[in-house]
This record gives sequence, C-alpha cells and structure tokens, in this order.
Amino acid sequence: MEKKRLSFLKSGLSFGICFLTIGMMAAMPTQSVFAEVKITQQSGKIAGKVLDEFGEPIIGANVVEKGTTNGTVTDIDGNYSLAVTNPDRAVLQFSFIGYITKEEAVKGKSSIEVKLEPSVVNLGEVVAIGYGSQTRKEITGSVANITEENFNQGVSRDAADLLQGKVAGLTITSGSGDISRDSQIRLRGTSTLQNDEGPLIVIDGIPGGSLSTVAPQDIESISVLKDASSAAIYGSRAAGGVILITTKRGSGSKTQVNYNGYVAIDQMANKPDLMNADQWRAYAATVPDQDPAVYDQYGADTDWFDELTRTGVSQNHSVSLSGGGPSSNYRASFNYLNRTGIMRDNDMERMNFRFQFQQRALQDKLRLGLTGSTTLNDFRVPFWENFMYAYNMLPVYPVYNKDGSYFTKVNDEFDQGNAVQIQDLNERRYKGSNFFGIGDIQYTIMEGLNIRTNLYTSYNASEFMRYDNFETKPGKSSHGFAEKSNTIRKRNMMEWVLDYEKSFGQNDEHKVSAMAGYSWEENRYSYTMARSRNYLINDLKWNSLQSGASLQSGDVESRANNYKLISMFARAHYSYNEKYMVTATVRRDGSSKFGDNHKWGIFPSVSAAWGISQEEFMKDVSWLNDLKLRAGYGVTGNQNGLQPYKSLQMYGGEGIYYDNGVWATAYRINQNANPDLKWESTAMLNVGVDFTLFNNRVNGTIEWYNKETSDMLYTYQVPTPPFVYNKMQANVGDMKNTGIEVLLNIDIFRKKDFNWNTSINFSTNKNEVTRLSNDLYSSDRIYTGSPWIRGGSNITSHVVEEGYPIGQFFLLECTGIDENGKYIMVDQNKDGKITEDDRTYMGDAQPDFTFGWNNSFKYKEWDFSFFLRGSVGQKVLNNPRAAYANNTYLIGANALNDPLVYQLKESSRMCSLYLEDASFARLENMALGYTFNLKDKKWIEKLRLYVSAQNLFVITGYKGLDPEVELFFNSNPDADDAGLSPGIEPRQFQPKARTFTFGVNLTF
Amino acid sequence: MKKRIYINLIILFSAVFAFSSCLNLDEEIEDKIPANNFGKNEAEVNAIVGPVYKTLCRYAAGHNFMTLQDAAGDMSLVPSKRGGDWWDGGQFREIHMHDWVETNNSIWGAWDKSTQAVSSANLVLNIVENIEGLDEQVRTRILAEVRGVRAFWLYLMMDFWGNIPLVTDFTQTDLPVQSSRKEVYNFILKELNEIKDIVREDVTPASYGKFTKGAAYTLLAKMYLNAEAWGVDDAKWAEAEEALNVVMELDYQIEPNWKTNFIPKNEVSREAIFSACFSVNDASGFRMQYYNWLHYKDNLALGIKPAGNNSWAAQPAYVHLFDEADQRLTGSFLLGQMYDLTTGEKLYTAHDRPLNHTIDIEIIPGSERDGTVWGDVQQEVGARNWKWDYETTIVDAMENDFHIFRLADVYLMKAEALVRQGKDNAEATRLVNVMRERGFGNDSHNYTTVTLKEIALERKLEFAWEQMARQDCIRFGTYQDARFLKPNTHGKDHLNLFLIPQKAWQTNNKLVQNPGYPPFK
Repeated sequence: MEKKRLSFLKSGLSFGICFLTIGMMAAMPTQSVFAEVKITQQSGKIAGKVLDEFGEPIIGANVVEKGTTNGTVTDIDGNYSLAVTNPDRAVLQFSFIGYITKEEAVKGKSSIEVKLEPSVVNLGEVVAIGYGSQTRKEITGSVANITEENFNQGVSRDAADLLQGKVAGLTITSGSGDISRDSQIRLRGTSTLQNDEGPLIVIDGIPGGSLSTVAPQDIESISVLKDASSAAIYGSRAAGGVILITTKRGSGSKTQVNYNGYVAIDQMANKPDLMNADQWRAYAATVPDQDPAVYDQYGADTDWFDELTRTGVSQNHSVSLSGGGPSSNYRASFNYLNRTGIMRDNDMERMNFRFQFQQRALQDKLRLGLTGSTTLNDFRVPFWENFMYAYNMLPVYPVYNKDGSYFTKVNDEFDQGNAVQIQDLNERRYKGSNFFGIGDIQYTIMEGLNIRTNLYTSYNASEFMRYDNFETKPGKSSHGFAEKSNTIRKRNMMEWVLDYEKSFGQNDEHKVSAMAGYSWEENRYSYTMARSRNYLINDLKWNSLQSGASLQSGDVESRANNYKLISMFARAHYSYNEKYMVTATVRRDGSSKFGDNHKWGIFPSVSAAWGISQEEFMKDVSWLNDLKLRAGYGVTGNQNGLQPYKSLQMYGGEGIYYDNGVWATAYRINQNANPDLKWESTAMLNVGVDFTLFNNRVNGTIEWYNKETSDMLYTYQVPTPPFVYNKMQANVGDMKNTGIEVLLNIDIFRKKDFNWNTSINFSTNKNEVTRLSNDLYSSDRIYTGSPWIRGGSNITSHVVEEGYPIGQFFLLECTGIDENGKYIMVDQNKDGKITEDDRTYMGDAQPDFTFGWNNSFKYKEWDFSFFLRGSVGQKVLNNPRAAYANNTYLIGANALNDPLVYQLKESSRMCSLYLEDASFARLENMALGYTFNLKDKKWIEKLRLYVSAQNLFVITGYKGLDPEVELFFNSNPDADDAGLSPGIEPRQFQPKARTFTFGVNLTF
Repeated sequence: MKKRIYINLIILFSAVFAFSSCLNLDEEIEDKIPANNFGKNEAEVNAIVGPVYKTLCRYAAGHNFMTLQDAAGDMSLVPSKRGGDWWDGGQFREIHMHDWVETNNSIWGAWDKSTQAVSSANLVLNIVENIEGLDEQVRTRILAEVRGVRAFWLYLMMDFWGNIPLVTDFTQTDLPVQSSRKEVYNFILKELNEIKDIVREDVTPASYGKFTKGAAYTLLAKMYLNAEAWGVDDAKWAEAEEALNVVMELDYQIEPNWKTNFIPKNEVSREAIFSACFSVNDASGFRMQYYNWLHYKDNLALGIKPAGNNSWAAQPAYVHLFDEADQRLTGSFLLGQMYDLTTGEKLYTAHDRPLNHTIDIEIIPGSERDGTVWGDVQQEVGARNWKWDYETTIVDAMENDFHIFRLADVYLMKAEALVRQGKDNAEATRLVNVMRERGFGNDSHNYTTVTLKEIALERKLEFAWEQMARQDCIRFGTYQDARFLKPNTHGKDHLNLFLIPQKAWQTNNKLVQNPGYPPFK
C-alpha cells in the first residue's frame, strides 16, 4: 500500500517536472511578447447597462470577460461594472437566460450598453463537453444541456431528481418510496447485460463521481452527452452515456449571499387495496371448515399499511456565499437535507459542504483552483419484508395487546408478523462520509495554448449496521442478530491536458482547436464485516458484537482490492464560418482489471455538422433562424460490474473442513479465471438536426441513433467439466438499441407581462439482444427474473435471448379463469400437460415511447409551471396480485380486495394473467412561485416564494400500486442479473409519495 | 517559435511513455493468493484438498440429491400444499410421478453440483501432481484420496444419468462428449482398484471423514452389486461379497445404540465408513432436516429456534412398513399432534387446523392440478424426518455429520450378495438379524431365514433418509411400481436413468439426451 502511494507521488512528480520543463521551454521564446504586452497594458474599468428587447433593464444578467472567469452580474437597474486588465483586447460577453448571448469588444471604451435579443434557445451559450466547453453553435455531437432554470422544483436529493423526464432518451426511475434508495438511470436503453450502472457521472471535470456528493442547490448546469461521438472522449466508461455536472462558481467582483430553503410533506400516494375487517368477516362467514373466532377475538380493525406509514416531513436549508475580486473568486456552500420517509422506519439526513476558490496570477497566465467537498449521509433503511407481512396480516389482528405490549401471536406464521414491532425494535442504518479535494493549475503558455492539470483525491467511508431484535420475527430464529460493516473507497487521480485554440483567415472564419491529455487513476477498496447471533439482551445492538454467543465461519470477513485506469486522449475540432464543423476524438484506455492480452483499448470517434442556415442560399429564408445537420460515429467502452482480479487464478478461503478432530480453513481456486477478459465496446451512429424557427420562438432537435454493443461482459453459464465453476465472466454477446428522439421548445407567448413556454420531448428506443454465443460459450437463453408467489420458487419471469429485448417476459399464457375457477392455460407444446415447458414470449417491459411535457408561465411577478411525463407500451408483472389476489390462505392470511379472490379456485400460478399494460402519464411536478419586486430595497436582491406538488396524479390502467417500477429490486445491485428482469412490481414494493413543498429563494 | 513548441510537445509525449510507472497496469492482489504462491507445504496442500471433501457436504445437505434419491424412490415426496406452497412449477410432482421434463430443477441441481465436484477434484489432482518438493509418499496418498472422492461422484452420476462426460484431466478444455455408462463404470472400477490399497485403512479419528480403504471397498461393493441392474456387466455378486469381506475385517463395529449414528457428535460412531462432516460453525452446513422437513411451527414443539419450510413428507406406505415396536419408527419420523414445548398448548396451522403429522396424506378434493391426480394437501399432513437429533442451541446449521456409508449397509449388502448367490443363508440371516435386534431392542423379531424380500425391507427400515431408496428400488425391481398417486410405469425402462438437464445442454451442445427422452432441440 505504502509502495503504491509512493508510485502515485512519483508519477505525479515526474509529470510535474516534465510538464514544467516543457512549459518553460515553450514559454521562453515568447518572453518578448509578454514584455510588449506589459508596455501597453493598463487596467480599466468598464460600466454600463444591459437591457431587454423592450428597453427594460435586465436584472442578474451575466457579464464576463471572454476567456476568463472574471465577471459580474447586473444589479436591479441593469447596471454593471467590471474591471479588466487589458481594455484594448478584452471582449465582454453578456448573457441571460432566454436571450441570445452577445459579445462586445471593449476596444478601450469605458462604457458599454447592450440590448439582448430574446430566444427560446441560446445558441451562444457555452455548454460543457468532455474536457472542455463549446458554444451550442459549434457542437457536432449530441449534447443536451439543462440549466438551473429548467430543473424540476420541489424536493430533490440529487441531480437525478432535477433531471427526471427533462432529457429525451434519459430514463430516470425512482421506483420506490424508500428515500434511501438511489434512482436508476439509463440513457438510450440498456446497453449491457451485466450490472449496467447507467451513465458516467463527471462532476466539474472529474469522471467517476457519485451524484450524492453534489447538493442539487450547488448545480448550475447539467450536460448529457448522448451519442458516442461526444462521449467517446471518456472512453472505456462512457458506453452508458455521460452526465457532466457543472457546479456554481463565484462570479468575480460581486459578493452574494444566497439562501434556499423548503419544507415538504410526503403522503402515501397509493396503497394496496386489501380486505378490511368487515370484508374479511363477511368472507370468513362463508368458509365452512374454519372458525373465524380463532382469528377474530380482539375486536380489531387494522389497516396494516396505514400502521406502517406516516406523513413524511422534509426540510432543506442551503446557504451559499460567493464573491471575489478582479483576480480571484470563491464560493462556499452548505446544504442540509433532512427527510423522514412515509415508512416509519425510513429517514435520511445529508449534509454537503463545498468550497471552491480560484486565483489568477502572472498577468492571468496562471490560474490556480482549489475545490473541497464533504458529504455526510445518515440513512435509516427500511425493512422491506414488512410490506410482505402487511399483505398477509389479518385486519382483525391488533397491533398491540390490551396491556399495551406488541401483538406477537402470529410471528411464527409464514410471512406474517407484527411489522410495527419490527419497525420499532429493529434497525438498519447506513452512514457514509465522502471527502474530496481537487487542485487545478492552468497555465497559458502562449495565446490559445493552455496546459492544465487536475489533481484529485477522494475518501469515502461507509458503515452499515443492522440489528434484529429477538422479540421480533426476523431476529427470532437466531435469537438476536447483529451486523456491522465498514467500506472504504479511496481514489487518486491525476490528469494533464494541453489545449490549443486558434482562429485565422480574413474574418477569423477558420477556427481550429485541439486538445491532448493523459490521466492516471487508482481506486482502492477495503471492506470489513462482522456479525453475531444469539444475544442475551437486545440493548447492545451492533455495538458489542462479541456479546453474541454464536459465531459461524464467514461471520467475520474482510476484503480488499484495487485497480488502475490509465488513459491518453485527444480531440481536434475545425470549423469554417460556423458552417462546416468537424470533430475527431480518440482515447486509449488501459485497465488493470483486464487480462494480460487485452489491457488496452482504443475508443475513437468522429462527427461533423453543417450549419445549413449559414449558407448563402438560405439567407432569404426569414422564418428559419438556424438549421444545423449533425452526424457522428464513435466507439465507447464499458467495464461496469467487472471486479478486479477476474482474469487471474487465485486461492481464497472457502469455509472450513474437518481434519483429525479439528476444523481448518479450506483454500480453493476461487473462480474460473479468464485471461482473455477485455473491453466491452459500444459503437453508436447518431444523426441529428437542430433548428430554430419563427423569430427564435421555436427550437427543436430531432435525432436518430443506432447503438451496437459487442463483446458484452457477462457472467455466463459454462459447462462443468471442463470448468470448475458453472459461471464465468467473459465477453460474448451483442446487443442493439435504436431510437428516435425529438425535442421541441416553443415560446407561445412572449409579452412584457406574460410569457408561456412549452417544451415537449419524445423518445423511442428499441432494444434487442442480437447474439449470446461465440465459439467458446453458448447460452441460447438466459432465464432470469424471480417474481414470488407461494409455491413458485425457481420460477423465472424473463428470458434474455437472441432476437428479443432485455425485459422479455416468458410466462405461461393464461387466457382467463374457467367456470370452475381454474386458470385456462395454453398448452404451447401440445403434450397434454401444463409444465414449465409451456411458457412462451408474452411481451416486454420496454416502453414503445416515453414523453415529457413541460409548461411554464410567467405573469408579472408570478410564475407557474407544470410538468407531465409518461411512458407508453411497457408491460409490468403485478406480483402482489399474483401472490395475494387469491383465497387459498384466507381466512388465516389476508388477501387483496380483488375479484380474483372470489373467482379463482386454485392456488396462484405465475402466468400472463398478471402481466399488465403499464402505460402511464404522471403529473410529475407543478409549481407556483412569486418573485417580489424589490427595486427599492437596497439590501436584498431577490426573494421568491413557491409552492410545489410532486407526483400529484398518475393516469394509468395498471392495477398495481404504481406502473413505474424499478429496473431491479435486489438488495444487491451488483448481482449478475441486476437490470435483466425489469418490469416487476415486487411484493416488497414501497408505496410512492405525493409531495407538497413550500420554499424560499433569497439572495442578498 | 511554433516549431519549437511542436518539438517540445513531442518530447513531452515521449516522456509520458518513458515513465513506465505511468503505464503500469499490473494487478496488485490484496485479498487473495496468486495460484503459484500456495501449496508449498503439507498444511497448505491439505487446505487445497479440503474443498474436495467439502463437495460431499453438498451431496448430504443438498435438497436436490435427497429429492432424486428418496422422492424418486419410495420413501418421500414433496406434496404441494394448500395454497400452492412447494408446487414450484410441478418439479416435485414430476419427480414423484416419474414424469420429468428437461427443465426439472432438481435434476439440474444435482447435475450441476456433481459436475462441479468432479471438476474440482480434477483441478486439485492437477495442482497436487504439479506441486514441487512435495514428499512423494504424501503426494501418492493425497492423490489417491482425491481420486476416491472423484470416483464417488462419478459413481453417483453414472447411477443417475448413465452416460456422462467423463473428464478426468483438468487441462482438457474442449467441450466433452459423453462416455457410455459401461465406459464410466469401467473407469470407476479401474480407479478404485488402483487406489483401494494405497489409501489409509485405520479406523481412527484421524481417518474419519477421509476416503479410506473401507470407503474404497464399500464403493467397490456397491459397483459390483448394481452392475447387473445398471446393465453394464454380468452379475458380480461374488466380487461384491469379496469386497465386503475386506470391509468387515477392518476395525468398524456395529454401534450398540442405533442413534449413535445420528446424534450431533456422531463422529464417535465406529460404524461410520465414509462421512460428510458438518459443524454448527459452518455457514454452508447441515440444515436440510429442519429446513426442508419441518412445518413452520414444528420448531416450537421441538424446542429449537430455526423454523422449517414444510417441504417433504414421508410416503404413507413407507411409514406403514414400520412395526410399532421398531425403535426405528420413532427414530426416523416426527408424527402426531404437536404441542408448544414452552406453553404446552396444542399447535395449529395458519389454516386453523391442528398441527398433526398424520401418516396418511389426502389430496384436498377439487385441488387437482391440470387434470391430473396430483393436487394440494393440508400443510400438516405426512410424517416428517426426525432421524438426526437436534441440539436446542442451534441457531442455523446443525452439528450432526452425515454418514454416506456405514457398516450396517455393508452387513445388509453382504446378506444380499449371499442370498443372491444362494450361499450361506445362515450368515445372511445373522447379518439381517443384527439390524433387527438393534432396531427392536430384542431378538423377538429375528428371522430364521431371509430372502431378498426381507433384505429389501430391512434396508428400507434401516436407511430412512440416507439416500439409498432409488438405487435399491431399481436393484430390487420396484422402482416403477405404482405408489401413492403414481401409476405403474413398468415397461418404461428408460426412466431408470434421469434425463440430461436442458441447462447442461445449453452450455454444451455436444451432449446427447438419454434414450427414451425427447432429443435436445
């Protein structure tokens, strides 16, 4: 370990030295230029006004000296004042949301007044792309950019909540009411079989981040790199797309204090319709051979779902402080989020601290930045089995006995138990802390040529704790069960980037930019876990594991591993008059995880765009403001789900064996080593057109893509013998995703006092597994998905098979219930028997299309918006209905209040009867805000109050709790088939919340 | 100036490649041991061999083998319970009715575990053969033991499936084709004959749990005894008798108390010849008896903490074979009304029925599935397994070991070999009577002479849940008999072999389905 840290330092140092040397060599001949500049240089102050199309001042417009971070914002009269070091050469950029960015050369002037033109889209806006930024006009790939103004309002835990439904092709699923669970994100469909982790998260240029480490209030904009030509610069981790998060920075000379706060309440949006006490009693009276009095002797009428839930309360307070001087800026922020979930045993607390400082020196040639961040999490994770118990517990059972003690009489029954007692006495807690620091140094070697380095280190420590009280059902058999584990992840990264930008030609019509870089990163992981059973007293929980009386082999465990990723990457961009643009990138990635023969992979891309509207022949088309055709092709890679050491033959401890009266530790080669493991690669072709029409009132994008993944990593079933284990990680299959995305953004009304903007996104994606075999491995069909009904273990619901999409249901086909109350099953193989061999393809969990529709209105000081999103054509397996819409366990266990309870006269069977169309439209968000007119208040700049509602209603024909379910419900997202069986509403499904928020935005 | 910059850039990038640490991607292993770094002394070699013996635990504690051995035979079944518990797609109906299809999960589970065990043994043989500096005597002994365990697994597979991939060399990585049952049989015989006098012959705590001379000869006897039934050889009764005589001359003894074989510390049994060893501290331990056999609430009656899952029950006709006076009746079954041990209250199921384990099992009228006679039964019906004693302190795994071979089996096999040869009926009768006297506690139920019928019966009474039922049924010709719900399937001899599971074929298309079953497609 010590040795490794040294090597990090060593390589950092050696790079530092060589780059510094080169930098100096490059800088030396240009010394005379510096001297020249020095003579004419004199700093100057520029002041002026920024006005809108009606001549009214724009408050809060950004004024930035181009190419620097020196900038300010206009005050309530639209006035600004900015000091620049070189008034002759400086160019000022004026920007404001909803308006076209304008550039003005200072040319020695001391006052500049500008009038901005409105536009539904700002083509001059600078958008973050991989390792740099470009204006919207210059972009050749497929990049969606969402800024703060368009974020979802209301309670948000992370960037995923801000983005949900906003970007065509980006699916964000938060399928459960459990506030401790992260959203599942997919861009343009599932692109791998194994542990699809979704897009790569890049936070302020650092790849591989976690969304939870940035408070939503610190985010300024989010770029989604959708196609491979824009994502390929991130190489081997970009196959799932890339999400770039840019955080807010201090804006030069202006000091600002900002407070953002809200309180919200969560209510259970929907709960299962179970038989209540009256319905149960009515039913029980009709059952001949059971005596209802055995169960119904407490006079209770309990709704177990109500008992397990509550109204959740959330509060969020976020304070930021920003400012700076002509050569420095800073921003510091603190965010506190506290939520209690709708489940009584679910809560979370999160604190984010973030500090960012930038200093310029040596005539602005040298820029130094420092960023530090800390996130502290404390979650209480709900006990999901409680919902299974709630389905089964009779409504005539009380929560408490007459004497106030818990009703525990049925804790020994199968899938029954006092869940309120479990919530009260048991605990599962997760605590995490994440620290990271970034140092960045940038030096301008000569005009247009910059070198920069990022040094990054992060430390993530998390603890998981669990105690099952022996009075409760889960802790009973082990007589108290405690567990505590610790995970530490460390990451070091170093990155060097050299970039060059130059315009030439008569009117600077040729523009060239190039970038080359190197990055080195190291990830270290360690894990320690201990658990213990058989306690004398419950009070100790996980704090005294040694007090448990029974210890098994495997109850104490530790693990550690590490891996390295080394990359070299480059990009070149050329544009002619914003008419013809071409970009090419290449990245060479090496990962220690792969087999000796395949450590390195190359990921190239090329893309081009044609600004048709810039052509002479289009000049007369007045209704067309902008038209751009883009095409790009690139290859990206994936290594998610590949643990270190998979290519190696190693021994690991394997339980204990008996030898001459003694139990000793056995050692075993722990896997089928695969020395041929290599990169999974995804090639994508993307064609798109961007247009702006009708006096900048209509803007849109239409895109088509074809994405082909090959050499898919998966843990394939292999024959034994010759192999020792029946599974092995290998590169075998192929998969294809094809889709169309449309985005339309329209300013319907654009009046001084009233604005109405509507924005629609629409996307389709067709997924297909195209190959699952090669010469060595053959897997005709992978059975996956484990819905649960009693007597249905090992019955799978899905298949992964060539020619079918991920999420393909494969079930017995049921055409109804016959007059005898029996399922009418189709005997597919016509052998006269209904067996598992009669299962067939029954539709899939992939939607035909998804859409989002946002409307925002502004009337004087009022703003109002609503956002509707939905998805059409997907199937969801209603597992609770399959499991509980039956009378076979009545009257000893409860059932759903469903017609099937009276109709069905046999035990439940998993079949297509429970597969439902789950098309839906959800009113995701509705918000009403009022911004105070503070023109005559000097001490306060902005005050906005708002109320919002989230998940107000869902329109759907789906009979279960919610048509939108998580891609996988598995306690372990690293499981082999996580994500391969989407579209099951599990019976542990936790009802979603409907949220109402009241919030304040305050800026001084 | 520009040129200079470009030159500098080139230097810079060459510099990047010059620093090897910047491009070094070697893996640094932290929580495992690289393969070439282990097995350097005898203790390490023993640790490598340990997992080979642990494969036996998967046989003894695995649900799949118990299902194929006892439920396909005439001892147990997994009834579907009211509400659908243990229907599981009909896989247990298929086993009981001899109506299996290639997706049957129990058959796949047994195939999967067996083939992995064979492969593991091959891997360990390869490792031990190539370890440098290992004492040659030690090497020979260890190799012989591992080959013995592998022979046991191959014997099981040959018994179940007949025609199996016979891969014995770990370095052979081609997809294997099947060898015929006879070829596998001959290979096992050859292996056993090569190792039977190399492995240790002591009957001591040091040899307990190992593949010993006793195990080798017992397995050899089983090979000869079944050779004719398997259709791979002529009757080999004399050879079987000869092998059994060798075992009987070793230091094994019939335990005076039958239960000594099944108590938590049953490693003390001098009757044990070949055992799968379990510990309460072993996370992959022995819990099958309570986990699969006991009703959800039986633990309250037995005073143990872990609860069962109400899976298996004894076939009614099987329990009826036991004489009331035979201690092995209550020594094998949990029967009758259950009472909460702490409160003394009568226990009821969630269907409000007394938790009474009746011998007889009735299908609930109207619950028949898919037009067959198979339907659901009440949760509580059927006798349960209570052969291995429980320690009340268990919270998860049980301490009891599972004796795969024990001397009682050798006695009854010898009796059978004698009777089949028409030799020395007095000795055969004596051997059977040893079992009966121990079972009844006196000689009042002794036989004066025995035929195959008495021997077959005695094997059933003696070996409840010891995974002998299927093989015995086939050898005594009763496998295809009509049983509870199951019709007579005589004439369908192909059912004497299980089918090759579909999942196995999916990863190896060279496999050919056994005769009589629909070919793979």
